[in-house]
Amino acid sequence: MNWITWAITGGIALIVVVIFAYYNKFVRLSTQIDNSLAQIDVQLRKRSDLVPNLLASVKGYMKHESKIITEVTNARKAMLSSEGVVNKMKAGNKLEGALKSLFAVAENYPNLKANENFLQLQQELSSIEDKIAYARQYYNDGIMSYSVSVKTIPGKWFASMFGFKEKEYLKIPEASRAVPKLDF
Amino acid sequence: MDKSPRISFYEDIRKNKIQSFFLITIVFAVLLALAYTIGFVVGGDFFWMILIIGTIISLIYVVGGYYKSAELAIMSVNAKLADQTTYRQFHNIIEGLCLASGLPKPKLYIMQNAQINAFASGRDPKHAVICVTTGALEKLNKQELEGVLAHELSHIANYDIRFMTLTAVLVGMISIISQIFLRSLFWGSFGGGNDERGGQLRIILMVVGIVLAILAPIIVSLVQLAISRKREYAADSSAVKFMRTPTGLIGALKKIESNQAMKVSGAIAPLFLAKPGKEHEWFMTHPPLAKRIEKLQRM
Repeated sequence: MNWITWAITGGIALIVVVIFAYYNKFVRLSTQIDNSLAQIDVQLRKRSDLVPNLLASVKGYMKHESKIITEVTNARKAMLSSEGVVNKMKAGNKLEGALKSLFAVAENYPNLKANENFLQLQQELSSIEDKIAYARQYYNDGIMSYSVSVKTIPGKWFASMFGFKEKEYLKIPEASRAVPKLDF
Repeated sequence: MDKSPRISFYEDIRKNKIQSFFLITIVFAVLLALAYTIGFVVGGDFFWMILIIGTIISLIYVVGGYYKSAELAIMSVNAKLADQTTYRQFHNIIEGLCLASGLPKPKLYIMQNAQINAFASGRDPKHAVICVTTGALEKLNKQELEGVLAHELSHIANYDIRFMTLTAVLVGMISIISQIFLRSLFWGSFGGGNDERGGQLRIILMVVGIVLAILAPIIVSLVQLAISRKREYAADSSAVKFMRTPTGLIGALKKIESNQAMKVSGAIAPLFLAKPGKEHEWFMTHPPLAKRIEKLQRM
């Protein structure tokens, strides 16, 4: 008689522990996903914050490249006015493309290329590009582990119990690695 | 393409965790066997006193080693904090990799050394440090440096830094206990040598105890080194997981291969990216570079 009660108590305790573990796992993964989206946003904002500095340091040297400078300025404006991570990312990629053209043109200005401030901004912007790619990768990893744990048994049962739904996979556009074509 | 099958990094990480667990169980088993034999052979109260004092000393050693591991490692190589503006690229790469791995940013240090090397330490990701040599910053290109730093960050993400600290502390504790046992035996033979009860069994156990006390520290050190080597492969795998390409790390390891050995204290050798000395594989903290490169090329 006694061992039966022990077995039942033990079984219930085990189930409770497993449920807690799964609940925490869902919460942890959801936070990870939200956090990585926030990180993408932070990096995109950092990039648009650096653009005015870059343009200021470039203006003195590139007087005859007003077309590219306007392009960058417009891309930045579009980026700042866009809503939601997906749209921001799209606008961000346009801005990145415009910046790449700017850096490509800068190759023709040896004085500019020797400018310490310009070099620093160039390095900073390229590191932001890396960080966006990494944050995007982390977001995709998070979505992957989340959907695996929501779809597989026993996670599937607990997920419906706590109302954790399968997350919509935001297709965050990947930044193109190619240097855009220059049209003069 | 290569004949050998591609290694899935997720699978590799899982396998490494199981093997490491197995290895640490052996360390505990040796410790238990040692304690049991000592308890059997040494009967008197006096020796229990020694054992208790010994335990207290080793506990202080464990706690101190655990909480101060990062500071001790940084101090012993005389490294300086890497400042934000001078080492901008170093900071940028780490920040990017932290985004890829979801880890908090560790403290970054620079040590003056012409060799290419790096290590990570600390008890958990929140208290972690990464230290690179000036040689690594000068001789590696951006992608290679990123590979090296991804490897070090993997040691943090996989909790290797805690694991290695704990094993180092365990190995230290076992050698302390063995020492105490051997010494107390020596004293005991003068103090209570006339004790005839127990007879043959006691003598046999005594011999077993002496052999264990001598062998245990050697065995656990070998186990520690084996764990350390396994962890290097795991960290290489995770580095590829973060970067999604092994190219950078392969390039860095090839550059290290053509470099000469560096000298550091034996205690912190397992922490480094590449082994600082030259020994037989069994006594090495790291697997041979050629083997690591070969594994990476299959990913």
